[in-house]
Amino acid sequence: MPLLRTVNLKKYFRIGKSRFLHAVDGVNVEVGAGSTLGVVGESGCGKSTLGRLVMGLLPATSGEIFYDGVDILRCTRAELAQRRRKMQIIFQDPYSSLNPRMSVFELISEPLVMNKACANKKEQLTRVMELMETVGLAERFINSYPHEMDGGRRQRIGVARAIALRPEFIVCDEPVSALDVSIQAQILNLLMDMQDEMKLTYMFITHDLSVVKHISDEIMVMYLGQCVERARSKELFRNPLHPYTQALLSAIPQPVLGKLRHDKLLRGEVTDPIDPEPGCRFAKRCNVMKPECAERDVALQDMGSGHCVACVLYGG
Amino acid sequence: MGDTAMEEKRMGQKRKKNLDGGVPVLDVRSLEAVYQMDDGVIRAVNDVSFTIAEGETMGLVGETGAGKTTTAFSILRLLPERTGRIPRGEILYKGENLLEKSADEMRMIRGSCISMIFQDPMTALNPILTVGDQILESLEIHNVENRAEKELKSRVDELMSLVGISPARKGEYPHQFSGGMKQRIVIAIALACEPLLLIADEPTTALDVTIQAQVLVLMEELKARLGTSMIMISHDLGVVAKTCDSVAIMYAGEIVEYGTAGDIFEGKVHHPYTIGLFQAIPRLDEDTLRLRPISGLMPDPSNLPPGCRFHPRCPDCMDECRDGKPYRYDRGGHKILCNLFRKEEGV
Repeated sequence: MPLLRTVNLKKYFRIGKSRFLHAVDGVNVEVGAGSTLGVVGESGCGKSTLGRLVMGLLPATSGEIFYDGVDILRCTRAELAQRRRKMQIIFQDPYSSLNPRMSVFELISEPLVMNKACANKKEQLTRVMELMETVGLAERFINSYPHEMDGGRRQRIGVARAIALRPEFIVCDEPVSALDVSIQAQILNLLMDMQDEMKLTYMFITHDLSVVKHISDEIMVMYLGQCVERARSKELFRNPLHPYTQALLSAIPQPVLGKLRHDKLLRGEVTDPIDPEPGCRFAKRCNVMKPECAERDVALQDMGSGHCVACVLYGG
Repeated sequence: MGDTAMEEKRMGQKRKKNLDGGVPVLDVRSLEAVYQMDDGVIRAVNDVSFTIAEGETMGLVGETGAGKTTTAFSILRLLPERTGRIPRGEILYKGENLLEKSADEMRMIRGSCISMIFQDPMTALNPILTVGDQILESLEIHNVENRAEKELKSRVDELMSLVGISPARKGEYPHQFSGGMKQRIVIAIALACEPLLLIADEPTTALDVTIQAQVLVLMEELKARLGTSMIMISHDLGVVAKTCDSVAIMYAGEIVEYGTAGDIFEGKVHHPYTIGLFQAIPRLDEDTLRLRPISGLMPDPSNLPPGCRFHPRCPDCMDECRDGKPYRYDRGGHKILCNLFRKEEGV
């Protein structure tokens, strides 16, 4: 049984009187215990909203979220509080997600205090030190404030806060996007080591396909609130099926000499997510669009061994 | 003016540019830039030298705080007035030292001879002016030939179609455009006066990859058409590999390696920092189980380590690296600032 499962999850934001922005539109996710699901897509595709829905930070419009078999959208507050200890989130921007008036000690002990996880001050200090060691923060920083530290160290505080209550499941929302490459590699390695040691389950949200390839077992590609393709990581990169996935892959400049390829360049930009027309959301930018693409919604179709794609080319 | 006539005028300009031959468009010599702070001096750029030939694109690569943007601001003399200073060095634009120009002269050079594309198109544009007016502004300031208003306005239309935006939208405001479109407008403003040198500071960092690809291809096309030289500031080695002719790798205010794109991406010898940078990137075309980050952190620019700036993080650090200037390796223009090569060359 997967640790986390969503069924037809939807989040619509009301814009003005009667228009709706379809941020997440019928997404089905399954994350197995101890594995990593990578969620990729461009800005505005709903990947962060999905992360927040799963964490219960935003109320869903409709659909179900099962965590460990229990529908967390329909359980009581007390039950939810229990579950929430097992689920944590690491935010994108270590510059704005930490309270500038709290020291490292206060920041890391905050989740411990809130959840009364430590019996006394001494235990709390020991646990904070332990966490700092796990995430690779030197002891001398315990009384420092976020502004005194660089991005990499700040993000380590964010990681320490997330693992303080020994969670099972962590949503990582672009945890390395704001960091330089040499520091990015340090944080990615840390996340992978922690996963091995603590058997963590990750939902890793990012726009960077090379990062997601590196860290994920399974990858879901999102476009305008919908999942367009889902497959095992290796399979997706070896054999991308959806035209959007193909375009996304070819648009990434690799550090190898050569010119950008003009032929696979995507036309136009992401279309409006407010009350989208029926049919494939990608159709307007698609190089191989057919008349039927605009006519009906396209469902995810299993092409075998769990590689799912939503495209009329594959009979979806 | 018809399309062919415009084209001829451009070609004429291009030929005129070629006649100058020999003198590089930009020649930066031993540039130093510092910020004077209350609690000390921040040495942001130290002894940086490079040249850019006509039509050449140089990539300036480095991590946050390496001094890339400060170098660009020094060239345009845009360092903050109270704190920024250039104590040493020369910036020769077609043989003329920009550091000796008056503020008024610099104002005319900016935009018409050298212009800049900033990282974040969301903040680079004025939110209360229409995009058409913002493109027009640059043309008006540099209207040395006293061209008629009508002529300038038709140039705005021309520029907008050049960057792939319908001129019908010139009356709209920046917030009505998406990020990629805004960056196209910024490019149109930068290219309005057909500058000889374009400094692009992380022009695509704030954009999505599919839009980034569109903007990079557009910049390539325009550059080829106008014969502009370019400094492409980026932290993304992928972007640099696809766009640049030469590359300078900066670390802690110094250029630690400089060479042609071939030297940097396919060459055999490198600075240990360059090697570290390449190893730290997760690759799409290779399977890696574990990334190899560069250990440690970027040094504090107000307290730079003695000797080689990279020595505390360097896996090949030797005793001689801790003190004194590192060895300058130079083989056919491929320059590396590292003591490792002293031994190899038997000096």
